[in-house]
Amino acid sequence: MKKLFFLLLTLLGASNLFAQKTTSLSIKFDNFIGNDPVELNTKSYKNQAGEDFNISLLQYYVSNIQLVKKDGSVYTVPQDDSYFLVRQNRPETQTITLKDIPQDKYVGINFIIGIDSARSAAEIGYRKGCLDVAGDAQDMYWAWNSGYIFVKMEGSSPQSTLKENIFMYHIGLFGGIGDKKTLNNIRNVSLAFNKETIKLKAGKVAPVIRIKMDASKILNGETTVSIAKNPSVMGGPYSAKIAENYKSMFSYNGIGMPAPTEKTSLGLK
Amino acid sequence: MKNKIYPTLLLLFGLMVLFSFKRVRGNDDENLFAIPSNFPKPTYHFKSNPLTAEGVELGKTLFYDAIISSDNTVSCGSCHQQSAGFTQHGHAFSHGVNDLLTKRNSMPLYNLAWSTSFGWDGGVHDLDLFAISPITNPVEMNESMANVLDKLRKSQNYPSLFKNAFGSEEINTERFLKALSQFMLTMVSANSKYDQYMRLEGVELDEKELAGLEIFKQKCASCHAGELFTDYSFRNNGLGVAKVEDLGRFEVNQQESDKHKFKVPSLRNLGYTAPYMHDGRFETLEQVLDHYAGKVVKSEYLDPILQQNGKLGISLNSDEKMKIIAFLKTLDDDYFIKKESFSESSLKTVIPKKDILDDVKKLSFGNEKHQLIMNESLVLYLKLKDAILKKETNKAAVLANKLTLSLDRIERKNLDIASRVYFDKVFQGIAFDADHIIEGKALAEHQFDHFGELSANMFRLMSSFKPSDKPLFYYESSEKKFSWLSNLSNEESTPTIKQYQFKDLKKRALLP
Ligand code: HEC
Ligand code: HEC
Repeated sequence: MKKLFFLLLTLLGASNLFAQKTTSLSIKFDNFIGNDPVELNTKSYKNQAGEDFNISLLQYYVSNIQLVKKDGSVYTVPQDDSYFLVRQNRPETQTITLKDIPQDKYVGINFIIGIDSARSAAEIGYRKGCLDVAGDAQDMYWAWNSGYIFVKMEGSSPQSTLKENIFMYHIGLFGGIGDKKTLNNIRNVSLAFNKETIKLKAGKVAPVIRIKMDASKILNGETTVSIAKNPSVMGGPYSAKIAENYKSMFSYNGIGMPAPTEKTSLGLK
Repeated sequence: MKNKIYPTLLLLFGLMVLFSFKRVRGNDDENLFAIPSNFPKPTYHFKSNPLTAEGVELGKTLFYDAIISSDNTVSCGSCHQQSAGFTQHGHAFSHGVNDLLTKRNSMPLYNLAWSTSFGWDGGVHDLDLFAISPITNPVEMNESMANVLDKLRKSQNYPSLFKNAFGSEEINTERFLKALSQFMLTMVSANSKYDQYMRLEGVELDEKELAGLEIFKQKCASCHAGELFTDYSFRNNGLGVAKVEDLGRFEVNQQESDKHKFKVPSLRNLGYTAPYMHDGRFETLEQVLDHYAGKVVKSEYLDPILQQNGKLGISLNSDEKMKIIAFLKTLDDDYFIKKESFSESSLKTVIPKKDILDDVKKLSFGNEKHQLIMNESLVLYLKLKDAILKKETNKAAVLANKLTLSLDRIERKNLDIASRVYFDKVFQGIAFDADHIIEGKALAEHQFDHFGELSANMFRLMSSFKPSDKPLFYYESSEKKFSWLSNLSNEESTPTIKQYQFKDLKKRALLP
């Protein structure tokens, strides 16, 4: 018994010695409509259907992040630290920080839009941080049809037929559980850093990876979404069309240096 | 150094082992949850939420506490009443805050540990997650989860209740939801005559009941299967679309083929849970069987079992119907309905209630005619009380109608603003409960439920406007949420009242 404990202690010590050198890395999401940064309420935009609109609310989940190394292998961010809710009205949520990334050369990033089906079906004990249905996720969760809203955009347009000309796109649905199938509006995103290689080194300030999110793609893509025809899309079949549109709303937007204030992580802890 | 550390480590390890056993053993506590020998294995994940006496107690307190709703008027227990098999007495649609109506018939709560999905459309897959739906629904409790937790954190009693249940005073989403589940999981209904017969506990079914069971097995059990009387699937049993279309399962998964399908419900405790079906369209079991026998509506997604060999419905003659009903009655679990530990009165911590006197204001009717109307209305009210207590349901319906008409004679335009606003609000409340007394002509319990609230409003009117000098008394039983007005100072000792065995009866004098 004593010997076993010695062995354990030695192993622990050794693993500390050879511990991988790590650093943290930030990602900044820049929300745009086409080439204009999103401005809530005040600015008017035009969609492909020729309709004018403004945006009053824009928020989305990004999760299951992987960093692609130069040799083609990937580093997967630990599951519990890999859920982020980006909100247009809360700038601090637009920069996310990944901790303990092994030092290496990275050429790309993979993530999903939404919450993976395992976590969407998980027990309440696994819904912490931005997944807390009584906390941060409060306005991103459907209670009667249990599941998270992945992408939420609201605003108004003179073309909308709803009261006060509002429109609402609340897109979720993770595929259902077992034989109880639903639509699956989770979408995978893979972005290369445009042939750049980002070298991460412990003890050195890491650059900020900038990712552009073009919310106009929610309306303009394979399907031209008309606000007049579909002012409110939530659980219905049409949500799949919007998901097909939003799967290409992210693009790599270069690297920048961290601003002194950007250091907020809203992952699970 | 070495010599000291290892024993300590070993001790710690040992403690951990002990502790985890104790935790897991929690749900083996027969008093809290036990699998009836005629039941299959439950589906709930007890491992991650082992039941403890303290957890169940906390869950029960939360279940009966209206603090969970936005205006502190509606608790889970308002729509899920034990005496009605944890549905709402006599309601097709239930009342939430501001007396808004739910879209569907309240579901009975029992044997939830075996369910594979929750709600008529099965939109929630885990019992722990269900409560969020009524809490945040504008027509149920209309509250935000964050606000509920905040109210609990600031309350007198909850931090210590959470500490008892979970080891620290922290109140968070997980603990709140798990505690509610713990209480609901204890609601096992398995003590009906049928269960005792199946478990060979010396109870026999009579001939009619046995014949009914046989017919049931042939004609109903393909959907209402096994000891839980449901296969938990979603099906269309030919009800035909109601005035307000409800797409059922389709709303959850958008599968065309699931339009108008609903969860096959269990069939226990039907004697207490009327009305029936997701929209409460049938008042009686006779109507249900008449539906299956001859009124099944053909639609694209009607279940194939209900349209075999080109024939709609299930062939049943009136003798067979009668036998099935006799059998269904053996599924009523009187023990469950009366079990003390499920009731609000068994709570160890008394839930603080808003005092009705806080609602009383100093107002005036301004003229004698109005005072006369009020006094005439009071006479009608007292007659109504008599009819309610004697369960003369038809008479009560007539009197409730008269009472509203009488009060409606008050000319609002002649009142000062404060009095008018107050009167209007209270009058609307009275008219609402009176309507239900009128509607519930066939159901004494339903009338009884509404009369308590109507009385509270009469009290508000009488004590705010004080139209008369005659002494008046207000009796209140918090246990049954019943209350009434009387001009007798000792009405609690009359035989009519005594038969109700009100516990914790409070009396207040309402002097001029
Ligand atoms: C305003 C009335 C109302 C209130 C308040 C209410 N419920 Fe319900 N409950 C219902 C209705 C109606 C249904 C059926 C819902 C549906 O299918 O859409 C239901 C269904 C349920 C179910 C699903 C049962 C099953 O077998 O699938 C559970 C569990 C439940 N309620 C628990 C609760 C809890 C816990 C609370 C308090 C937090 C609560 N309810 C408050 C009306 C209410
Ligand atoms: C094809 C499957 C199927 C068969 C066969 C079937 N039922 Fe049902 N039953 C259902 C479904 C589905 C519901 C719920 C329908 C709804 O509310 O929309 C239901 C509801 C009920 C209810 C109402 C329960 C409540 O709590 O509201 C009763 C009672 C009932 N069935 C009795 C019977 C009897 C008795 C038979 C045999 C004569 C039978 N059923 C045969 C599927 C079936």
